[in-house]
Amino acid sequence: MDAALGYMSLEDMLSELLERIRGALEVDTAAVLLLDEDRGVLVARAARGLEEEVRQGVQVPLARGFAGRVAAEARPIIIDLDHAEVVNPILRQKGIRSMLGVPIHVEGRVIGVMHIGTLVRRDFDENDVTLLQLAADRAALAIDNARVSEQRAVTEIMQRTLLPNALPSIPGMRFSAKYLPAGSGVKIGGDWYDVFQLANGCLAFVIGDVVGRGVLAASVMAEIRTALRAYLMQGHGLTKVVSMLNDLLVLMGRSRGATLAILELDPQAEEMEAVIAGHLPPLLIEPKGDARLLEQQHGLPVGVRTGHDYQAFRYPFPTGSRLLLYTDGLIERRGESIDASFERLTTAAQAAAQRADSSSSLADGVYRALLDETPLEDDVALLAIESVPLEDTLETTLSARPTVLSGLRKTLGRWLQVVGADEDELFDITLSTSEAAANAIEHAYGAREANFTVSCEHDGQQVTITVRDGGRWRTSRPPGGGRGLEIMRLLLDSVEISSDDEGTAVTMTKRLSHRA
Amino acid sequence: MSALDIEQIDGVPIAHVNEDIDVANATAIQQRLADALGPDALSLVVDLSATRYVDSAGVDMLLRLSDLLDHRRAKLILVIPETSQLKRLATIVGLPAAIAIQPSLTDAVQEVARAQAETTASHPDSAHEQPTGEQGRH
Repeated sequence: MDAALGYMSLEDMLSELLERIRGALEVDTAAVLLLDEDRGVLVARAARGLEEEVRQGVQVPLARGFAGRVAAEARPIIIDLDHAEVVNPILRQKGIRSMLGVPIHVEGRVIGVMHIGTLVRRDFDENDVTLLQLAADRAALAIDNARVSEQRAVTEIMQRTLLPNALPSIPGMRFSAKYLPAGSGVKIGGDWYDVFQLANGCLAFVIGDVVGRGVLAASVMAEIRTALRAYLMQGHGLTKVVSMLNDLLVLMGRSRGATLAILELDPQAEEMEAVIAGHLPPLLIEPKGDARLLEQQHGLPVGVRTGHDYQAFRYPFPTGSRLLLYTDGLIERRGESIDASFERLTTAAQAAAQRADSSSSLADGVYRALLDETPLEDDVALLAIESVPLEDTLETTLSARPTVLSGLRKTLGRWLQVVGADEDELFDITLSTSEAAANAIEHAYGAREANFTVSCEHDGQQVTITVRDGGRWRTSRPPGGGRGLEIMRLLLDSVEISSDDEGTAVTMTKRLSHRA
Repeated sequence: MSALDIEQIDGVPIAHVNEDIDVANATAIQQRLADALGPDALSLVVDLSATRYVDSAGVDMLLRLSDLLDHRRAKLILVIPETSQLKRLATIVGLPAAIAIQPSLTDAVQEVARAQAETTASHPDSAHEQPTGEQGRH
């Protein structure tokens, strides 16, 4: 292809090419239609002398009409319009009499059709066919390249928006993930994972796989991901959420089904709930290293049949537990039984869990053990969740938004259980800290993105918690508009508030009875 | 189960709050609770049995809701089990002085029935204004 054509959009480049063909072959019209494989139609992408064809978005079903036959039969066809079936009315309105069409091939597949036409009858000969086929072949490579870069641009945007750009940072939890689309050109598939905090302070994890790959599979994945987040944010339970998603997909007529596993972890209760819709069973590694697949009763993949009921199962998830969510590309090998695949996964995960430390994540370890040397045949998504011991001192920095409070209470509750607070003490300290944090958030209101920190320590008898807001506001307002401070003072042994140019610090103490 | 489930028992709206009430959701919950009280209902039962924490914003919200219901000549009844930490909280912030609190759903429904009987006894006319078949409004 000429260098001059290299920097144009696909449409401009094709139009330019068609103009040259029109001149060289002395014809009146020239057009290119490209195949939309998902819908099985040819779509007009560029035309000369037939511009209406593109403007009106002419679509020709495969195997029908002139262009449809050229594509279906993958060979040059010459017709006389006086005696031929023509799907596209524009060809007749234009008064075209004779046409020659050739297939556009890439790697043996037909990706479209190039055709030319004349307003006076003309017997296209072998020379015309050879010339047009030559032009079509030269166009093919450019079309394919342009498509790949077009898809790549879409893909990059989608990947950026679709995968969590950062895994949440939560004391006592460690997350790691891998996402590797198969194939060389289009780096996106229908696999995905998601991690986010729910309004109730619990954590939601999702792994899933939409049938197919490429931008279309990814767009269905995007719909599913958004729907799941929306339903979960409304506070529905997991079974309800998956049922609603299933009904939604069937209703929207999405022909692509999806498998998924969705889990909700309560870090304080150290318990999780799982719903699986046709997906491979997550792998749970218990604190002592024993591994088991969550082979609970599976529901159907979503998007297949409405009104399907899904069941949730609960599992303990004590400190030291690890959970692996993955898609089939991680473990399935040609010619290997699924049991052998599970066996390999379990062995790899147990070994990686023992080695995983700050320098190498669990997801990395599992991925390296299973796939490092193997070329990818399928997309791979992998999400590892680890519950790790909380330190004696808990320090966390949170964004100054009210929605962080429920998660803070869960984390603090878990820490207080570890340091030996009883039920009453846990309630008093957690609620008071939440009050102080709510107050810090209120101060930050209206300011641009602000953070606050919560530090918790204990000396075996007394717990000391400091909530510090780092904003630059200077005020000596009472926290909580009165009632919040009153609650804190009634529930705790001491509450001290100090404000300076740096912000406000609330320091609270409570002695533990250690009755438990 | 979702964050807030509303059902009707004998025409009385019962709202089960299944999450903490704090500054993040207090306003939204107040709105939904106020909406749960139909134009004709005389009582609203708010079941806090499954609620772990209610912060000062939540306490303020319950007091505002109680005032709002007063204006509509309806009564707010909270269900807080004896064993709940919220019982202690309610006591120290003086909530029982402002809002009726019952230890169970059964007790709350009985209180509603008693209140309705009293209303009917003292205002016999108003009894006729109460539509029947309220259960139909699920």
